[in-house]
Amino acid sequence: MQRRAVHIFSAILVCTASVLADENAEFTQDQVEFFDSQVVDLLKSNCLSCHSGKSPKGALNLTTRAGILQGGDSGPAVDLKDHAESYLIQAINYEGYEMPPSGQMSPQQIGVLTKWVEMGLPWPKDLHEIEFEVHAGPPPVNEENKKFWSFQPVRLPEVPAVKQPGNNAVDAFIRHKLEAAGLTQSPAADARELVRRMHYDLLGLPAEPMELDRWTAKISTANAGELNQSAIAELIDHLLESPHYGEQWGRHWLDLVRYAETNSYERDSAKPHVWRYRDYVIQAFNDDKPYDQFVTEQLAGDELSEPTADSFVATGYYRLGRWDDEPADPKLAIYDEFDDIVTTTSQTFLGLTVNCARCHDHKIDPIPQKDYYRMVAFFRNIQRYGQRSQESVLSASVMQIDRPADARSYQQAIANYDKSLKDAEKQVSKIEKLILNDLQDVEKEDFQYEANRVRIVEKRQGGILDDRQVKNYKKQFEKLQHLKANKPTGLASALCVKEDVTNIKPTYLLTRGSPHAEADEVTPGFPSILSPPDAVIPPMPEGAQTSGRRKVLAQWITSADNPLTARVMVNRIWQYHFGRGIVRSSSDFGFQGTKPTHPELLDWLAVKFVESGWSVKAMHKLIMSSSAYQMSSRPSEQSFAVDPVNDLLWRFDMRRLSSEEIRDTILWVNGSLNKDRMFGPSIYTDIPAAVKAGQSQPGSGWGNSTPDDKVRRSIYIHVKRSLLDPFIESFDFADTDQTCPVRFVTTQPTQALGMLNSEFILQQASVFAEFIRETSGDSAESQVTAALTRAMQRKPTQVEIERGLELIESLKQHNNMNDEQARKYFCLVALNLNELMYLD
Amino acid sequence: MTTPNFCGRTRREFLWQTGAGFTGLGMTALLDQDGFLNNQTVAADGETQWDNPLAPKQPHFAPKAKNVIFFYCYGGPSHIDTFDYKPDMYGMDGKTIEVKTFGRGGHKNQGRIVEPRWKFNQYGECGKWVSDLFPNVATCVDDIAFLHSMTADSPIHGSAMLMMNSGRVLSGNPCLGSWVNYGLGSVNQDLPGFVVMLDPRGGPISGSKNWSSGYMPATYQATVMRSQGDPILDLSPPSELADGGQRRLLDTLRQYNGDHAALRSDNSNLAARIASYELAYRMQSEAPEAVDLSQESQATQEMYGLNDPKCSTVGRQCLLARRLVERGVRMIQIYSGGAHNDDNWDAHGDLETNHNLHAGETDKPLAALIKDLKQRDMLKDTLIVWGGEFGRQPTAEYAKGSGRDHNSYGFTMWMAGGGIKGGVSVGTTDEIGAQAVDDKFHVKHLHATILHQMGLDPNKLSYFFGGLDNKLVGVEGAQPIWKVIA
Repeated sequence: MQRRAVHIFSAILVCTASVLADENAEFTQDQVEFFDSQVVDLLKSNCLSCHSGKSPKGALNLTTRAGILQGGDSGPAVDLKDHAESYLIQAINYEGYEMPPSGQMSPQQIGVLTKWVEMGLPWPKDLHEIEFEVHAGPPPVNEENKKFWSFQPVRLPEVPAVKQPGNNAVDAFIRHKLEAAGLTQSPAADARELVRRMHYDLLGLPAEPMELDRWTAKISTANAGELNQSAIAELIDHLLESPHYGEQWGRHWLDLVRYAETNSYERDSAKPHVWRYRDYVIQAFNDDKPYDQFVTEQLAGDELSEPTADSFVATGYYRLGRWDDEPADPKLAIYDEFDDIVTTTSQTFLGLTVNCARCHDHKIDPIPQKDYYRMVAFFRNIQRYGQRSQESVLSASVMQIDRPADARSYQQAIANYDKSLKDAEKQVSKIEKLILNDLQDVEKEDFQYEANRVRIVEKRQGGILDDRQVKNYKKQFEKLQHLKANKPTGLASALCVKEDVTNIKPTYLLTRGSPHAEADEVTPGFPSILSPPDAVIPPMPEGAQTSGRRKVLAQWITSADNPLTARVMVNRIWQYHFGRGIVRSSSDFGFQGTKPTHPELLDWLAVKFVESGWSVKAMHKLIMSSSAYQMSSRPSEQSFAVDPVNDLLWRFDMRRLSSEEIRDTILWVNGSLNKDRMFGPSIYTDIPAAVKAGQSQPGSGWGNSTPDDKVRRSIYIHVKRSLLDPFIESFDFADTDQTCPVRFVTTQPTQALGMLNSEFILQQASVFAEFIRETSGDSAESQVTAALTRAMQRKPTQVEIERGLELIESLKQHNNMNDEQARKYFCLVALNLNELMYLD
Repeated sequence: MTTPNFCGRTRREFLWQTGAGFTGLGMTALLDQDGFLNNQTVAADGETQWDNPLAPKQPHFAPKAKNVIFFYCYGGPSHIDTFDYKPDMYGMDGKTIEVKTFGRGGHKNQGRIVEPRWKFNQYGECGKWVSDLFPNVATCVDDIAFLHSMTADSPIHGSAMLMMNSGRVLSGNPCLGSWVNYGLGSVNQDLPGFVVMLDPRGGPISGSKNWSSGYMPATYQATVMRSQGDPILDLSPPSELADGGQRRLLDTLRQYNGDHAALRSDNSNLAARIASYELAYRMQSEAPEAVDLSQESQATQEMYGLNDPKCSTVGRQCLLARRLVERGVRMIQIYSGGAHNDDNWDAHGDLETNHNLHAGETDKPLAALIKDLKQRDMLKDTLIVWGGEFGRQPTAEYAKGSGRDHNSYGFTMWMAGGGIKGGVSVGTTDEIGAQAVDDKFHVKHLHATILHQMGLDPNKLSYFFGGLDNKLVGVEGAQPIWKVIA
């Protein structure tokens, strides 16, 4: 350092003169070409993003030759007299300064810059300054940026007048834009297709054949292309009353909150009682729990004035993420856990990527770094999920709730308890027996009282008892006391959030996101770009178990004038109905998100949502009653030419079934789906040994369920972060580690392999074949007809039936199959139909 | 208004449907520039249009390597007992010294030296010192660049493995092989683009998280491949369907699906799914052919140690890796070591027993792989990477014995082929190998080097997710290790 100081001093002296002297330096054409062809790009890609513009780093601007010679805070960057002593040369060689900081340039690149300096910095005569566009800094929180559409309050827009009004106001918004583009909405869907669409949409399951026929007949009318709207309304109500509705829509929610049932990392251990959260979500959708209440319970169910068993379970929301039980940097791990919560909360409820402001101000949205830590402050007092051991998890994240445990788990708990109690009693009395004859008079009396026993036993240490015996006695004695005081109550336990109120921790802004660089203290606050009120945290009442901060956050998120909450949720509802949102980036309503295709419609829906008392079911009715929802998905050449992406919604988009829907449908088609058994601890499907071989302890953490349980709906399959059911995983199951607003829909050959050769699919094909044989008589024709009818959910054509019969014949003839085998493989084909996998 | 230009769809829709979802691709501009978006392939049946997200893509610049074989020594091999020669340590055994260490046993300030348990000799023109654990690899040192100053963020297996595989200590991020396939696609659609081979004793801890595609679509995750038995999950059709039975099934399926698609002619997803069955059908014949090592000469089989029970498993995997490289598989990761304790390189107990076992299993096959690739003139295009999630400490973990705890402050990895200089060693650790001192490199620099050799700019290859342009090397970026690049 000293050496450098001296150097700077001398350099400044020399340099002022040399800049002047060098102003009129002349260069050959070759030298200038060298600059143009090799130097400029190097400077641009390695140096100028910091060393350019109005306030370059270290006051060193490298965009002009004079700037380089002039230098910055450390003196001239280049010494034309002594090239090797140039700062620039030293810095790129990582001697002293290390530039660029992301890592050293290649020797070849360093060679180019060195040569350039040695040439005397050749520079084109007519080039004053290298043009370089510095990325604009983070957008500030100012009036201009506050005008961005999603930050503005929601206002009820006027319903536009259209030439041909559809079923309801939703259509007015859509047709208004279509008219402007010279397009019209596609005709109504075929009644049967629509009934199928509605069943999958709300229940994730096909309609029972009789039901499908009945509703198809009911919603059809004598006029082609016209549907009976009152029958459709009736069908919507009917479906919304089904308990399976909550399983389908609850699963969407589980995607958003990164629901999984284990912690990831080495042990990937199971989260205790986590399934209660899943059940809570299913039940909340079935009950049409108002969305504001649903949000509040998850964020602050323990801070309500009258918390319920349900609201405690809801706070399991905080416990669903990854947990590294032996982090290399424990302090960093704490903030990684907060980051998980900030990320999930801000994206899921607000459609904001506040998480991008952890290390610096958000680069794209007007969200300062301070706002990130102000949001952390709401959560700062939450106890970590656990600290290393499973016991610590039980103490920090599990509590009894005011609800009876289910009989099975209560009996199990009692059985475990009795066994532990017996064991401890046995151990204790074994040692006590050894000293009974040794007790003196007074001791005999004292020994009657448990409180004295440890002392009396300890007195015999080194005498008739050895160290190990005494130590074990004390341990078992304590265990026994603990067990006696904690008999299972018959109450259920749940995974919950807890705070430590004995030590309310301050929150600091962390410089560059480093937990080891605490800067200013911050207090809880909402994103400032939304011009929110101050977050006023009420004083903690006597005996409070929490800081009360999360409730304040929940109240603001669910307030009717929050510009984002209702918009974000109605957009999600729209997305799950139509396959994509009005805002496609449904968790990013910021500057980089996509603009709404129908902004007025979005706002209109948001207003209706709040007016309905935040009723999700009311939104389903509204949306599904629209002509837009009931449109055919068939192509139209004319509309396709104008709007191939269907941004204007001239038709309904087809969609592939989700992974759960595919598995559930296969089980439904072959008659084995156990859909009536809902709720409770998760189930284990059969995972092939080859997949388990990828675990460090093959099979660990994966149990065996009863045959009846194995055919339950997919939402009940255990979600183990490091070992997912391969069939479910291959059809694009949600990422378990981060909030997932839209699932991928990939088409891969490995899916086809699984659908043709896996043990699972072959078994299901067998079951299907047997089901068909039992239910549709002996003739091959009736069997083929029945199989196709179930798979396609419509009557097959004669051609389709004959095609199946031909396959069966050919398999029998050329592959020496018997009837049963041929039937099975025909059934396998039926399970693979695109018509089964895609909805119109 | 956007105009259709890809298979009748707009670019945006294309990206949407190929799995990018709303998140979009950080590579969009790049794709445009390379005309990738206009690049269509036809499915294996020769008819159906098929836009495969794994279709080959143009790299950012001319690549040095076309394929990567990452030989992963799970558990953490001891650098000072293998390739990082510490002559001063001999004679110091049992001495207690002041040294800062951090492993599973926590932070310590002093420890008892465990002298390296093997002799070192000089090899090759470069005169590299290599221990007796790797006498065969030692004969290849003139083709190898040793990185002696590697560092990582965590000395704990779970998070350290995620870092080595995905660049982050947090679970849920795409692995190196996913990035490579995302950036380059695959030149062979009949085989997976990213293959993982596991130790038969078990997978590594955290299992599939080590080869997951994280927030990217599953298209980019690894396929586990076995060198014996059924090479890929669900690859073999039931035996009843031999003699063209499966073809009959597929032809019938195709007829049904063809009729279905005819009424929905503008939905290319339906065509893609039809095509995927043909690709699967091809894979069923291609993959078993790839793993059929009996096609190799006796000499080759012996060279890889297939006749030596000690190293035949790794030998088969290395030989299979070469065959997969020949068939265009972009990235292959072989795990040496699995399960727990001494089933992998995690030598907490008896260092000698542990390392003799694992080095003994791998030395000969590794040397064979390098030499075989070289004699076939494939080494120049194939980048071999060797190492584990960290190294081991110079001191003993316990009061007794030779076991060493984990060390992420300094450890050795090596690379060979794929445009990497041979016979060089860069970076150093201190005189006992406790920590890196000169030219410290982080895991991200290793990743940057691999991507760079594959023709991808590590600071430009990005994937938009969760509001951020994510990169394998992190948002701050990282330069390749130029000193080892030829």
